Amino acid sequence: MHLQKNTWQHTEQEISQLLEERILAQVTKPTRYTGGEFNQVRKNWDDVDVTMAFAFPDVYEVGMSHLGLRILYHLVNDQPRMAMERVFAPWTDMEAKMRQAGVPLFALESRKPLKDFDVLGFTLQYEMAYSNILNMLDLAGIPLEAGERDLTMPLVIAGGPCAMNPEPLAPFLDAVILGEGEEVLLEFLQTVADFRREQAEAQHTATGSVQPAGIRNTGTQPASTQPAGTGVYGDRLQAKRELLARLARIPGVYVPSFYEANYDAQGRFRELTPTHPDAPARILKRVVRDFDSAYFPEEPLVPYMQVVHDRIMLEVLRGCTRACRFCQAGSNYRPVRERSTERLLAQAEKLVQATGYDEIALTSLSTADHSCVSPLIRNLIAQNKDKKVGVSLPSLRVDAFSVDLAKEVQKVRKTGLTFAPEAGTQRLRDVINKGVTEEDLMNTVTSAFENGWSTIKLYFMIGLPTETEEDLEGIARLAEAVANRGSAILRQKGIKKGVKITVSTSSFVPKPQTPFQWEPQMARAELEAKQEWLKKRLRDRRIQYSWHDARLSFLEAIFAKGDRRLAAVLKRAWASGCSFDGWSDLFQFEKWQAAFEAEGINPDDYAYRPIAYDEPLPWEHLDIGVQRSYLIGEHEKALTATLTADCRTGSCSGCGVCSTLSVSNDLRGKKG
Amino acid sequence: MTKIRIAFSKEDPVRWLSHLDTQKLFERALRRADIPLAFSEGFNPHPKIAFASALAVGVVSLSEYVDIELAAEVDPDVVGEKLQKAMPEGVRILGVTIIPHNAAALMAVINRADYRLRAALTAPVTEEHLAATVEKALQQTSWLVERDGKRGVSTKDIRAGVFRLQASLHDQMLLIETLVQTGSEGNVRPDEVLRVLMEQGNLPVDQESLRIIRVGLYIAKGDQLRSPMEEL
Ligand code: SF4
Repeated sequence: MHLQKNTWQHTEQEISQLLEERILAQVTKPTRYTGGEFNQVRKNWDDVDVTMAFAFPDVYEVGMSHLGLRILYHLVNDQPRMAMERVFAPWTDMEAKMRQAGVPLFALESRKPLKDFDVLGFTLQYEMAYSNILNMLDLAGIPLEAGERDLTMPLVIAGGPCAMNPEPLAPFLDAVILGEGEEVLLEFLQTVADFRREQAEAQHTATGSVQPAGIRNTGTQPASTQPAGTGVYGDRLQAKRELLARLARIPGVYVPSFYEANYDAQGRFRELTPTHPDAPARILKRVVRDFDSAYFPEEPLVPYMQVVHDRIMLEVLRGCTRACRFCQAGSNYRPVRERSTERLLAQAEKLVQATGYDEIALTSLSTADHSCVSPLIRNLIAQNKDKKVGVSLPSLRVDAFSVDLAKEVQKVRKTGLTFAPEAGTQRLRDVINKGVTEEDLMNTVTSAFENGWSTIKLYFMIGLPTETEEDLEGIARLAEAVANRGSAILRQKGIKKGVKITVSTSSFVPKPQTPFQWEPQMARAELEAKQEWLKKRLRDRRIQYSWHDARLSFLEAIFAKGDRRLAAVLKRAWASGCSFDGWSDLFQFEKWQAAFEAEGINPDDYAYRPIAYDEPLPWEHLDIGVQRSYLIGEHEKALTATLTADCRTGSCSGCGVCSTLSVSNDLRGKKG
Repeated sequence: MTKIRIAFSKEDPVRWLSHLDTQKLFERALRRADIPLAFSEGFNPHPKIAFASALAVGVVSLSEYVDIELAAEVDPDVVGEKLQKAMPEGVRILGVTIIPHNAAALMAVINRADYRLRAALTAPVTEEHLAATVEKALQQTSWLVERDGKRGVSTKDIRAGVFRLQASLHDQMLLIETLVQTGSEGNVRPDEVLRVLMEQGNLPVDQESLRIIRVGLYIAKGDQLRSPMEEL
């Protein structure tokens, strides 16, 4: 299935012609691959010093819904001497056509092969997209292993939430950006640009060549057949090492090849040692300090096809300090930084004008937490009423206040509301520090039913630490209580329509850099038995039950807490045909099992083994600010079901983020 | 209330947009251009935008039409200019005109479509053979084609809906020009016309290479073809 590298020799003109004349007509949803959307930036490469392709390892409609892409795309392209283009994972039909026609993976803007870029940057949003990363590299004709790539190939880098532990991808990546990309990326790209210029100049002097001494491959020759020993750095790998060393000196940049992993006799991870003088022992993540004035694109891309989040995304705040103990985003984006109402209103006005969207979504981890959310929503609605532009909230807290907000923004359509109590009993909710009581939930749904909603979705997790049968029964009981409350209210109001409650469970995945990182995942068979039990238990006709594939959660747990040895498994699984693992109809669990077997790696060691506090962890060199002592403390408190208050209003709980990263909670007003 | 009719083209890369995507594109572009749209009444107000006829994905069109209701009076030239600026690559605004409020819907009046097709040949064909093929086809009174519909495959006779047909050769390329029926009285698809010719003359056509351009949409009155921009 995988073609030889040397057949991928098309220029952008040839690629364009093949697309327009042959390929696009044969695939589903061709606008995934055409580019040309409104507000797209297409630059002349002669006028820039550095080019980067932002790669999202999933289909277009998922990737284009990602706010980070929109921010970084426009941030880089706002720099006159830098260019950023986009690439997504081609869907299977497109991949087949491309391989058949020998079309290498290309970027949407210029249709140049990815091989021609200086930097290829993957965003790591979820572990189950890792096989797509390898597949995209292969489809681009780029060698998978970082060590096989010299500077005729792009630097392959990554960032995003899973960069908190990128170790399973370490052999494939040249560098990893830790923390909020907008803080680091320009510095990173400038370093690459400077290095390339110096190289070109040095080579110019050395050879007297009048050619712009391209150390960048123009795509006509595989790297290995190019004459070695030209240019001042002679050995191209040496030149690359020099560039990586410079990059490693940028705070927040991690160069995996500058470290060596050691394992003990039992095969446990022991330590990661720096092997290069420029490699710091710990890499501290970067974070936006002044979020209010931080860069935000006011003329973002507007896709043609319907994408998952097809609306204006107004980022109202970043971070969450509610301290849910399972939540990786909670660890990763601390502390809370809000944008001011004035700025948000001004941004919204420009965004409506520049995109023509008819909906503004207020996005963040928890929008109802913004200290000025009510006046913000009122003003936004007033500002946009005449244009028939609506406002929406992507997620709601479990409280009546959130329902009030939902009531305010809801134009009229009463689609369902979604709440996440996460666990079925008070005890277990206290374990995970989800500060929600049954009373909160009942008040919330009462308010929702009274205000005309009849469909409620409830999200829970199963397999949480300390979970017992009682907690499962609790899920069922809560769902029934909500359904009964709904039926009573609807009957009272004389509404004929019945209530509809959807209960959805995901399986707990212990994530690195959270208080539960030492916890094992619950065994797959046990999770499946619990799903079965709930399926039987939730017989009420008003209640629908759906659940996540436990096999997928198992793989997620392995890769979330994985080390470098998993790279071989990943590579083997991909080579045997795995990609789009997150898409249930394309997920091939047996192939993954076979890959573990063949590599002699026991997946259970990663997912099911409780880790002792004094054991070294494969991701501990990556410092996200939240300190180990705090995580241990939170873990211990979890086991005694003791709550931790939100530091934004109460006192500091000592997570360490503020002092380590020199930031602080930044709230813009009083609630109300 | 004002009603306007816009003529526009749909070229690369927007030829790949579905009908629904095209509707959304117009809604958003009109909003970006600050053109005062009229909205439907009701719970979920939507702008009143009506296209002439759906265009298959991938087909270039040099003459599409859309009617839009506006909430205020406008200068059509200004609308054209503003809208052009708010459009992505591949949409050219060819004309804007005010139409009477009671003008018949585009869908109801447009009944002719003019297409140009181009496809590569996989083996040589002579001019004579091609001419004979066209002649033979045109002499027949019935052209049966199969169509995939919601209720399975059905057979249709499209001969009466083909009003003009010319074919020529150019560097191993087959070029076809044809004027066919479209709209509420029935649709003939250009690739169906190609298929009929292929069968009649055993033409070795590389179907993957087929490119189609819709050159015009018209209102036929007797022998006359009129543009929707003049026929009001
Ligand atoms: S350091 Fe204190 S105030 Fe800052 S985020 Fe952590 S707990 Fe909150």
